[in-house]
Amino acid sequence: MAIIERPETTPAVPGGPSVPATVTPASSLGALKRPVTTTGWKSWLFTVDHKKIGIIYGVIGMFFLVVGGVEALLIRLQLASAEGKVLNASVYNQMFTMHGTTMVFLFSMPMANAFANYFLPLQLGARDVAFPRMNALAVWLTLTGGIILNLAWFLGGAADGGWFMYAPNSGPIFSPSNGVDFWVIGLQIAGIGSLIGSINLIVTVLNMRAPGLSLMKMPVFSWMMLVVQFLLVFSLPVITVALTLLMFQRGFGATFFDVAQGADPLLWQHLFWIFGHPEVYILVLPAFGIISEVLPTFSRKPLFGYPFVVFSGAAIGLVGFGVWAHHMFASGLGPVSVAVFSIATMAIAIPTGVKIFNWTLTMWGGKIWFATPMKFAIGLVVLFTFGGLSGVTHSVAPSDTQQTDTYYIVAHFHYVLFGGMVFGLFSGLYYWWPKVFGKRLNERLGSWNFWLMFIGMNMTFGPMHILGLQGQPRRMYQWTENRAGEGFFDLGFWNMIASVGSFVLAIGILFFFINMVWTTKKEPKSSLDPWDARTLEWITSNPPKEHNFDRIPTVSHLDEFFHRKYQEDHATESMTPIKTAEEILAEEEANADAHIHLPSPSYWPLVLAVGIGVLGLGVIYGVPTMIIGGSIVLVAIFGWVLEPSVAEDFDYEGTSHDDGPSKELTTHG
Amino acid sequence: MKINKMLSPRRLAAVAGILGVAFLAGCATNAPQDTWQPKGPNAEKIDNLNWLVFPIAGVVGVIVIGLILYILMRFRDRGQPIPKQTHGKPALEITLTIIPALILSVVGVFTFRAIFELAEDQDTEMIINVTGQQWWWEYDYPIQEQYGITQPIITSGQMVMPAGTKVILRETSRDVIHSFWVPALNGKKDAVPGRIHLLRMEADEPGIYAGQCAEFCGLSHANMRMEVIALSKEDFAAWVQNQLADYKAPATDTLAKQGEEVFLNQCVRCHQVNGLKRADGTPAIAAPEDNVHSGAAPNLTKFMTRNTFAGAMFDLVNNKCRADVWGASATEFGAKYLTGVTEECLNTTKLRAWLRNAPAVKPMYANPEKLEPTEGKYRGMPNLNLTEDDIDKLVAYLLTLR
Repeated sequence: MAIIERPETTPAVPGGPSVPATVTPASSLGALKRPVTTTGWKSWLFTVDHKKIGIIYGVIGMFFLVVGGVEALLIRLQLASAEGKVLNASVYNQMFTMHGTTMVFLFSMPMANAFANYFLPLQLGARDVAFPRMNALAVWLTLTGGIILNLAWFLGGAADGGWFMYAPNSGPIFSPSNGVDFWVIGLQIAGIGSLIGSINLIVTVLNMRAPGLSLMKMPVFSWMMLVVQFLLVFSLPVITVALTLLMFQRGFGATFFDVAQGADPLLWQHLFWIFGHPEVYILVLPAFGIISEVLPTFSRKPLFGYPFVVFSGAAIGLVGFGVWAHHMFASGLGPVSVAVFSIATMAIAIPTGVKIFNWTLTMWGGKIWFATPMKFAIGLVVLFTFGGLSGVTHSVAPSDTQQTDTYYIVAHFHYVLFGGMVFGLFSGLYYWWPKVFGKRLNERLGSWNFWLMFIGMNMTFGPMHILGLQGQPRRMYQWTENRAGEGFFDLGFWNMIASVGSFVLAIGILFFFINMVWTTKKEPKSSLDPWDARTLEWITSNPPKEHNFDRIPTVSHLDEFFHRKYQEDHATESMTPIKTAEEILAEEEANADAHIHLPSPSYWPLVLAVGIGVLGLGVIYGVPTMIIGGSIVLVAIFGWVLEPSVAEDFDYEGTSHDDGPSKELTTHG
Repeated sequence: MKINKMLSPRRLAAVAGILGVAFLAGCATNAPQDTWQPKGPNAEKIDNLNWLVFPIAGVVGVIVIGLILYILMRFRDRGQPIPKQTHGKPALEITLTIIPALILSVVGVFTFRAIFELAEDQDTEMIINVTGQQWWWEYDYPIQEQYGITQPIITSGQMVMPAGTKVILRETSRDVIHSFWVPALNGKKDAVPGRIHLLRMEADEPGIYAGQCAEFCGLSHANMRMEVIALSKEDFAAWVQNQLADYKAPATDTLAKQGEEVFLNQCVRCHQVNGLKRADGTPAIAAPEDNVHSGAAPNLTKFMTRNTFAGAMFDLVNNKCRADVWGASATEFGAKYLTGVTEECLNTTKLRAWLRNAPAVKPMYANPEKLEPTEGKYRGMPNLNLTEDDIDKLVAYLLTLR
């Protein structure tokens, strides 16, 4: 049994649990003892454990899914009929701005981080990420950014320039309220969080893989997340620059986007989209990674063409930096630039198509089990195919000059983002729920969840292809009968269908939350390996122990876990089971490592995140606030730097607390 | 694991097929901004590309989805043993990479050619300067003697041009980024402040072609519309002549004459009417740069020769007359349009509502007290607090601007 080094006394009863030693405190730190408790709300707020942080990211993501979803429903209510009266022009403009911003930055990216944080170390055979306190800082910065972004609703109106925030409309003259300022600060702060997280995960993947786990034996999910982190590292600084320029223009009279002073508004567009295009691959590659695990597991055969899938993921990441101006085909770039970006955009369709073929061929010849994770995974393949094909039609620049800024584009990106990314995330939720929470989500409710989402999604975004191609632009708070055509299937009809569909979709998502609650209350505990899975994270208990692996596993195959369970007979081409999951886990536990060091929880990441938040608000509210925020930041940085990564003995004094130390930490094997 | 029989792949395929066909058939008829109904050579070039790419995408989609549905039916778990652990077939994968690359290369060649053809400007026959501002379009016809344009003509909302003529728009903006888009005639091109962008515009036949601003530009982006009016060469010459004709002051002691006074008191601060004179005989020159943030307001010379107003947000004609003009055939359209807006056809409700309280019917930041950054200048037309009497007079006056 693993022993985690904590100060201990010998058990009062032989063989019974140990008790943390009472140690004479070296100095009276009082309230500044480190928060070493392992249970209760403090153990979440000050955690540096990647699994808890992953769950916190998940809670943030799902919360903002609901927020962004409500914003979407209000938009669809307003557009259900001509010249709707649900939202006035000003509120509508805030609504679509915040819907896009929330879904991209506060739902998708945190959810991807939820999976990455929880599962990357587990898939790599590691016990945590490379920099645990930085990891905590990243999640609290994400939350701080999200709060600041949404504070604007209550403090004079949210940002209303669109999630793309084009200049000069974003400047102080045309967007005089503070909404855009909150948007800038909130995104900057969330961006710092993402950047920190990306560096952390790159170091983790490159340095902390288990023995024998070469890069080309890594699960595809780990590979896709690695590519995503590199995309973040290279794209986030660009939007940081753009946001800084805008912040100085709005707050300090700079003239970066002031046309009267000679600025070119296209500067913002280039900066934004050099970030913005890689961003969409940042959003979708995690989902691709997830279904690259799910499809093989539920087809009972390996991913078809692992090297092609890995390399195409890397290719998408790389070429993704070369296509940004396809968002600007109507912006006046000139035919040479337009031609170059048009061809480059066609090129990126190729590695994407490769993935679709490989996923499809994974299922060919398989033994397909239509459990809920698999339904969502197949849904992704189908829906992303639609979205990808409409994307190919955009790559033809002259056609795009008709399509851009219409609902046809809205249809495209919702098919790839909702049908692609969100379905992938839900596949991951259902797939890994037993690992994280010890129970399988209910299958019947899961089926309702899937079908309502699938039908709702197609009902909402399918008609938007027609709306766009028949002339309805985006970002309009109302549409009119005058431009809606004639006949039963006029644009009014399709707007109504889309609006009804959005409510079907919302009910579908509601079913997920219902399933969550039902499962917690009524479902039995899951077996150790409910899906007969293939990868390393399943060689742990459900949920994993705090230290993940009793013994760091040695890896000799891609799909290591599957190879430990089954022996392949090349003559008869049959797979013979040789060990059960329980046996494999027991073997690891019997050979537990003698000493395991884990980093200790800490206050400072949370304090630093709060300080940065206050500092950011100071940009809007003035120097006194900045000074307060800056002071908190300084104190937090010094506190962090001076604190060792593992708690001292005296931090444990008096923590033999009502919850008791968790048994697994102190039981001798 | 048994799959739900009700949703078996076979049934799904059938449902998907039926829905797909219904979808394709379920388009609006006569959608004024339909991008698949080209009415000019530039839009036709784009349409030809569409007819190359969309069917290819459609066929690929049907093959892939069909294959997936087949796989789901054929390889579902029926109790078979764990299948052969195939890791891949590089030859197949390379082939499946090369085929899309070849298809896209073909598409790329046609695309490349179309991009440069649509950027051609050496064959220009006529120039119109187009300026976008929140939330209306201004058209400025530079002197072009060959069309009878002996002095610049400035209009807004409806852009009149000769059919079958290679027009080039020189686009810019006075404030934020807008985008000029008339789908029947060409793709869109952004109007960016500080830059001039060119957009080809040509209609095969006379008619009215609907458009809309297609780059988010603030509060009333949704309301910023326009139409292109294509007239035969003769009709266009007549239109030009009329636009340049002398101002006809209303007869004294008429309601319209009183309206002219109201106009001189209120409207002329921003709106120019060429030839309008004050009581003392001096020309009334509008000064929108003093009063409006964007520095311009629509020129109302010959106002009743257009049939939309307020950034083409509202019809100047009532429904019956509108149907008459919009539904006219190519041969009849010119004559109908050149009639202009008569008193019988005037959309009195909409016009009066606008004059009574413009910001109430079109969201604009028209209250200068709320607009510190614009130094007190209006954005859009303010509420002038006109009395109903004033409005009666103004309407009578505006009807004379033909």
